[in-house]
Amino acid sequence: MRLWGFIVIGCAAVLGGGCAGNQSALDPAGPQSTGIRDLFWLFLGVSIVVQVLVTAALLPPLRRRSASAEPPPLVPEEASRERRTTLVVGGLVLLTTVILAVLMVGDFLTGRAAHATYADPDPLKIKVVGHQWWWEVNYPNEREPYKGVLTANEIHIPVGRTVEFSLDSVDVIHSFWIPNLHGKKDMIPGHPTTLRLKADRPGLYYGQCAEFCGHQHAKMRLTVVVESQAEFDKWMEAQNRPAPTPIYASQKRGLEVFLTSSCVMCHQIDGTPARSRFGPVLTHLASRPTIAGGSLANTRGNLAGWILDPHAVKPGVRMPQNNIPPADLHALLDYLEMLK
Amino acid sequence: MSRTPLIDLDVERPAEARPTIDVSGLPEAANDWRAPIWWGNNLLLVIETAMFGILVAAYLYYWSVDFSQWPPPHVSTHPANLDPNPKLLGSTIETVLMLLSLVPAIMCDRACVRFDARRVKVTVVIVLLIELVAGALRIHGFKELHHSYDDNAYGSITWGILFLHLLHIIVSLAETALVAVWVFRHGLDARHARDTRVSLVYWYWIVGIWVPLYLLVFWGPRVL
Amino acid sequence: MNPTTATTSSAAGVGATAGDAATATVDVRAALTPDRADELLDRTWRHRPGLIGWLSTTNHKDIALRFIVTALAFFAIAGLLAAAMRTQLARPGQRVLGPDLYNQFFTTHGTAMMFLFAVPIMKAIGLYFVPLMIGTRNVAFPRMNAFAYYLFLFTGLLLFGALALNVGADRGWFAYPPLSGPQFGPGKRPDVWTWVISLTEISALVGAVEIITTVFKQRAVGMSLARMPVFVWAQLITAFMVIFAMPSVMLASSMLSTDRMPTVNTHFFNPAEGGDVLLYQHLFWFFGHPEVYIIFIPATGFISDMIPVFARRKLFGYTAVVLSLIATAFIGFGLWVHHMFSTPVPELGQGMFTASSMLIAIPSGVQVFCWIATIWLGRPWIRTPMLYVLAFIVLFVCGGLTGVMTASVSVDLQVHDTFFVVAHLHYVLIGGAVFPLLGALHFWFPKWTGRMPSERIGVVAFVLVFVGFNLTFFPMHQLGLQGMTRRVYTYLPGTGWGPLNMLATIGAYVMALGLIVFACNFLVSCRRGRPAGDNPWHAPTLDWATTSPPRSYNFRFPPAVRSLYPLWSDDPAKTPVVIGLQLDRREVLTTTVMDARPAYRYELAGDSLLPLFLGVTVFLTFFGLIFHPWALPIFGGASGVILMVWFWRQNTVEKVHDHPGEPPGPVHRQRPRQ
Repeated sequence: MRLWGFIVIGCAAVLGGGCAGNQSALDPAGPQSTGIRDLFWLFLGVSIVVQVLVTAALLPPLRRRSASAEPPPLVPEEASRERRTTLVVGGLVLLTTVILAVLMVGDFLTGRAAHATYADPDPLKIKVVGHQWWWEVNYPNEREPYKGVLTANEIHIPVGRTVEFSLDSVDVIHSFWIPNLHGKKDMIPGHPTTLRLKADRPGLYYGQCAEFCGHQHAKMRLTVVVESQAEFDKWMEAQNRPAPTPIYASQKRGLEVFLTSSCVMCHQIDGTPARSRFGPVLTHLASRPTIAGGSLANTRGNLAGWILDPHAVKPGVRMPQNNIPPADLHALLDYLEMLK
Repeated sequence: MSRTPLIDLDVERPAEARPTIDVSGLPEAANDWRAPIWWGNNLLLVIETAMFGILVAAYLYYWSVDFSQWPPPHVSTHPANLDPNPKLLGSTIETVLMLLSLVPAIMCDRACVRFDARRVKVTVVIVLLIELVAGALRIHGFKELHHSYDDNAYGSITWGILFLHLLHIIVSLAETALVAVWVFRHGLDARHARDTRVSLVYWYWIVGIWVPLYLLVFWGPRVL
Repeated sequence: MNPTTATTSSAAGVGATAGDAATATVDVRAALTPDRADELLDRTWRHRPGLIGWLSTTNHKDIALRFIVTALAFFAIAGLLAAAMRTQLARPGQRVLGPDLYNQFFTTHGTAMMFLFAVPIMKAIGLYFVPLMIGTRNVAFPRMNAFAYYLFLFTGLLLFGALALNVGADRGWFAYPPLSGPQFGPGKRPDVWTWVISLTEISALVGAVEIITTVFKQRAVGMSLARMPVFVWAQLITAFMVIFAMPSVMLASSMLSTDRMPTVNTHFFNPAEGGDVLLYQHLFWFFGHPEVYIIFIPATGFISDMIPVFARRKLFGYTAVVLSLIATAFIGFGLWVHHMFSTPVPELGQGMFTASSMLIAIPSGVQVFCWIATIWLGRPWIRTPMLYVLAFIVLFVCGGLTGVMTASVSVDLQVHDTFFVVAHLHYVLIGGAVFPLLGALHFWFPKWTGRMPSERIGVVAFVLVFVGFNLTFFPMHQLGLQGMTRRVYTYLPGTGWGPLNMLATIGAYVMALGLIVFACNFLVSCRRGRPAGDNPWHAPTLDWATTSPPRSYNFRFPPAVRSLYPLWSDDPAKTPVVIGLQLDRREVLTTTVMDARPAYRYELAGDSLLPLFLGVTVFLTFFGLIFHPWALPIFGGASGVILMVWFWRQNTVEKVHDHPGEPPGPVHRQRPRQ
């Protein structure tokens, strides 16, 4: 009995302790993920009951067990017991069918509820394109295209508004997943698709690529900020502005270093001649909490290490090592730190 | 302690009349579906049918992406061929020839059952020759498809279907040739009558599976 | 003492069934003593001595044991890879394995476990016991059987050899394009994967044809389909599933290969030229889902065979169990899209696959209820195999329940491709297949070696494996729900996944220790175990009616059966045996498909080195295709030549051994005078 007690407590500790989290499917922040979490509780409840019953069914016969070294005698059959057992087994099969039907209906209803957002005629549209191993995030503005926002590895959405993500990939299959908000959707080259969701609770959440996409699949993360409409508009406006012109000499030197090293081959900074979109857009790099596909905090030291040798952090990335002399590196960092 | 006695079949039971079933009078070979080789052959044919089934499903899948553009236009010629259905002549002749080959094949089959060695020899050679011609026509037939295997998915899947079928024709050719050589050298006995029948079943299957493949690849885009 | 070719009374001739009283005792003439008969049979059926003899054997037991030992070796290596992976993941940000090596490790682990361990070992145990349980001397196509083993061995060496040379497959065990395609998977690593798949599929398909033909054509007289042990039914049904499922993955991997070959350059999976990446997933999972049942159904066969022995009564609900297996096999082909719920497949279709994925829980449930009912109605006898059976019931139900969870589209969209799925698949594969396997290895160890395994060491190993397994995989459910995706070589400290990962790693080490103790049990008991005798567990099926280990010819007289549990219910004195098969040729009796009445005598092919040669050429065909398409005509042609020699030799009537001084022609076995 004590053993069972330990097992139950252990399971509870393991399960209960880890419900909250900003990358957790068990800590929903929107109606879709709430629906899924509630459905999961239903399945879990049923499963626990079934598991306990099946395990318990093995116990009474075990009380009659034999541990002899020689094979014990055979147990003769009794017709009446056989008939009764047939009825019991038949009843259990029927019960199983009913339980499965209930679970199926639960799944159907949850799926239908999650689709309520499809009735919304005016969602916020965000286009997310998967790259090896970063996320290209684009807020197209159909009426005023020059007000569209292009960023990377970071998404801001206003609380309470339906968001429609258009998902695509330029290379291999990735999968867009923000556990706190909704289930995942694969980004398959040749099959662009959409995902609609809504967030109810402001906060910072993380997403992660959920389809094996190569060497750095483990470090392809996404920061999702859910904020009020006012804060969201403020952020959009800030993202819309081009990069500020450098003021101090070191910042000017930094921009010069940027434009004359390999950086300019892949990275765009609005307001400068750097227009390549092969790698993430850096126009507002300093406003982002993370760098390197969401896997490093955005600090001066991390940025320096990342620029000099990305492969020490994410072996296999497309970004090459950069041999930049220390003075130039400091200037570059000064420049990048002003890109808010 | 009473126990059910074990049936120890490997230990002699002294002085007891043990019931026996004497099978020494049974025949040693079966010429038909009772022979294990028949089962083995047919199970392999089921596997191959499943393969073609999957290829056909893939063909239809690619087609379903855009029904209006199948086969895809062939734009590398001038003028561009916007509806490049496969040409029919060679493959139709081949299909007819293969269907006709069923006649000598069935005659050979019946002759095997009757152990008519002479007739078997004649018909197996006819079948062999037809198989050769069919194979040659198939190799030529690849040119009737306007797209090559490395042009697009349509080319890849149609070449794939035809190529797999060609491999079967080649294997059947080798098998029929082997059987024919044996019959000519050593005559026809029970085992070889059975083996000849088994290789003919393979040929029936090749012809049988070809008909729907032919209709799908060569007529499908025209008719549907 | 000349054995005369006595006339046999044809009172028990063709068409006699075990049930009717037409069997008669044969009058004794001159005696062929049991020892002499044994000697003749052994000379006919065993392989020649020496290396050539060992390489050319076609005895199903020899080949099955080789399969089992090789598959267990591959299991051990793949298990070591898993231990390394767990070590890497024990703490966040570790550098035990970099991403490149980690990717090769998890791909090789998955590919080896699924294709080189699970399927072959289930098939191999079937290969050993199906002929024994149906009362025949060998499988229908003995040389083809040997070929399947050699091909399997070379394939395993290829997969692990490639890993050792740093060209191991590294795109996951399902290798989705475009990641595995020509543009994003440069080099030869995915090619190693695709051709390993094709090779293992050929080996499995050949084995399936073998089992089906043997089960349908060579059963003991009187063993109608309703008197076949559930173990044999499970192997038969699995063989049919293999036949319909494996072509799909062979095509998927071959299409991927031709896409990758620079000289061929097809566009099956190239969206830019009309190809479709999703088609690969459909083709792969159309095979992939039945594959897990191909692994699981034979395991249920082991359970259905062991439970009657350890509950001391007949299996409850034989018909229901057999029908459930058939239903599982059919429904199992209609589930595959549940691996693709997060892809853009139409939602109505998704709903249908949820329904079918839940439906398959019903036949599985029927089996579980019948097993538990058998234990309730009987009297449990606790020995080590029974411990594994009981653990299997608990663990498989757990894995099945998480399977029902993942069958729901909504839940699956959160847990797909996370450690939740890793936990689920290991509960059903280890709990649902490896636990029965470990129990089966324990159960049949006395039959293979003639010695009993140690109970004490067996229990210690069981406890370690059970505790270690649960400690490793149960926390993974939680990790998946907390956002940890699969196939990650590391994770960030801020995620908080560290403690549960550490727990899982500790569990992995405990489980590994348990498996080592399990292996030691066998190594020690081989020499020092208690002698077992023919039927130490007092089991009912025909495999226990022979010596331990069985002689090369299995039975001196092929038995006839009158019931499902011959050794429990038939009176040995009244059970007929078959006589009249020749002792100097490898002759078996074929019977009719439904009722198993005697049909005719069939001579099996003798030992040969051709299977080895064919194994080499077929292997080289696919190995060469990694490098250049010309390997197909060159080595394929060589294989064709060997096959022609094979069938040519098949045609000659081979007298396996010459016995000067004995009369030619049939030698009848008569009941000896005492």
